[in-house]
Amino acid sequence: MRMVVAVLAGLAISALVSTSALAQGIADPGFKSAGRGWPMKADANKFAVTGATMRPAPGAPGFSNVPGIPGATPATQPRVFVGLARDGAVPPGVTPLPVDMFTTKDFYKDRALWSDPRYFRCNSPAAIEELWGAGGVSLVDAKVGPTTAPWGMCDRDYPRAAIVSPYPFKTAQAHYEALLAETKKRGGPTIHTYATVPGEWTGRYQHPGFTPGNAYWYRMRYNQTSTILSLLTPEYQKRMVQETYHQGTSNTPQWQSQYCWPEGFMRRWHEFAVWEHYIMVTPDDVQIMAGVARNFVTNILVGRKFDMTGSVPHIGKDVPRWYGETIGFWDHDSLITWTSNIQGWKVHAAYEYSNKLQTIEIYSPNRDARGKFLGLNHEAIFYDPDALVEPVRIVRSYVKLSGLNEGDPYVFIECVPTIYPVKGRATSVTPGQTIEFEVPDMYGRPWAQMWEKYSEPGMERPKEEDIFSFGKEK
Amino acid sequence: MKSYSKFGALAITGLAAIGVLTVAPVSAHHSFALYNNEVTKVFTGVVTRVNPDANHLQIFFAPMNAERTNVERGADGKPIIWAVEMTGSAAAADQGISVGSFPPGTVFSVAMHPLRSGELAGSREGGLVQCPAKTPPAPGKHCDSVTGSTPHPAGMGLAPSKG
Repeated sequence: MRMVVAVLAGLAISALVSTSALAQGIADPGFKSAGRGWPMKADANKFAVTGATMRPAPGAPGFSNVPGIPGATPATQPRVFVGLARDGAVPPGVTPLPVDMFTTKDFYKDRALWSDPRYFRCNSPAAIEELWGAGGVSLVDAKVGPTTAPWGMCDRDYPRAAIVSPYPFKTAQAHYEALLAETKKRGGPTIHTYATVPGEWTGRYQHPGFTPGNAYWYRMRYNQTSTILSLLTPEYQKRMVQETYHQGTSNTPQWQSQYCWPEGFMRRWHEFAVWEHYIMVTPDDVQIMAGVARNFVTNILVGRKFDMTGSVPHIGKDVPRWYGETIGFWDHDSLITWTSNIQGWKVHAAYEYSNKLQTIEIYSPNRDARGKFLGLNHEAIFYDPDALVEPVRIVRSYVKLSGLNEGDPYVFIECVPTIYPVKGRATSVTPGQTIEFEVPDMYGRPWAQMWEKYSEPGMERPKEEDIFSFGKEK
Repeated sequence: MKSYSKFGALAITGLAAIGVLTVAPVSAHHSFALYNNEVTKVFTGVVTRVNPDANHLQIFFAPMNAERTNVERGADGKPIIWAVEMTGSAAAADQGISVGSFPPGTVFSVAMHPLRSGELAGSREGGLVQCPAKTPPAPGKHCDSVTGSTPHPAGMGLAPSKG
């Protein structure tokens, strides 16, 4: 036990020392802006993971002080446990709840406990996702069951105040209009030509998840699950607890790309859904491409305006788009964008979002002391009145690797399914095998429909509105 | 020259009309031979889902009972769900048919050519008529009989049943 404590202490200290120089930067616009560049209230790089998890041991191949890179090291490499207790034991000094996510018979009935980190045994959403071996190492004794789930670090939590947007705006529209107004006041927006557009942006950028110093809260490793839930409306809290339960307790994860379903807009911020980014800049369109299992193509249409009729602001037809539609304007070499018309969907080990999600994103150049272009700072503010109780912000960076004339080219991805849902479980199948295939209700939370049918026996879900009754039955 | 122009205009008009009539199958990503276009069924139902896919927008719905007080149900008590396929989601949006305008619970009427296989789906024929919110038609009637109903596209009514 003493040795474990010493290792943990060493890990924590080394993490603090080695990452202190890699601050989670925010681009300083050089003036007091109404809605961009406000400082971060906490640097996620200075926070260790909440756990519980197995991390590569110091000195082992693949060891990294940068938190949040499970699976980067083979499972056979030495690892150390990060957490308070294993195998279902209760950590010293912690009073467990009478029931938690790993012992409950019906998580819906435990709503009053969801706000307590102990309900999740002080595990982050990402740690819960990995309990059954999603990252290669299992921390649950499958023969005994989920009651053997470990405890994470109850005293670790990235501050909620650093997650929520610091800006006073209630809507993306108000935010965008304020940024546009202040830019106009300063003589903008800048109308670039091919001669003046910042062509140095064009190129390949490093995988944001593997970029040192690029920790951010949405990787879901630095927070208590209850803190993430506190960002959500009651309905979306329920949905996230359902997601978390089935990742960590029933072990029926429904990751969207495992079936070649759409990844969805928010997966662009997930640490593993997008790898290298390919950015191309023209005066009218800045295109960002990335992906692993699916293609993420963001076209920022410079100078365009949204059609404000219909359900939400949109450019083309009033049809929700999986990755939304984006307009923007330049303020010299900073690009300010507004995305709307997004198809609501999910992110595994995170929360769902609705069709009302809209973002304001600011891309600004990161330069060294001599002014050399290093990459981009990406500040994003998320507005979703259905899912979020208040807007949230994610700040991260893209480090430029090369121009587009070097390195591997972007590969257009056609996702070919090899795993199918069979009786509610993701199942690898072989050619010629016959399975019973249930057509998913793709726009009706198909993941949840499978859980509710196969993995929630005896649970009492809150009743839904009856849309089929009209007047008195005979 | 003058008469040629008249003939040309007539020919172009005729071709355009044919184009309009055949635009869905011609621009589709699958053959419409799976549907029986010699049969047209007219339904009034309750929307359960709109799938706004680029290839074809689909509305999933539960047909209402003859009394228009509830929906038809199977032996298990669950609503019987049909699907109606139509043009792509962008073109459907031009007709006022979208996720936002047809939320679950919307009552509407539509005519369709059913699948030859007898499964519960069809290809839309003619217009689609949306009842006012929470206002189904009288027993045995369709939404085009309800005051305040909305045809999609504007001015196009329900195709008559046949076959």
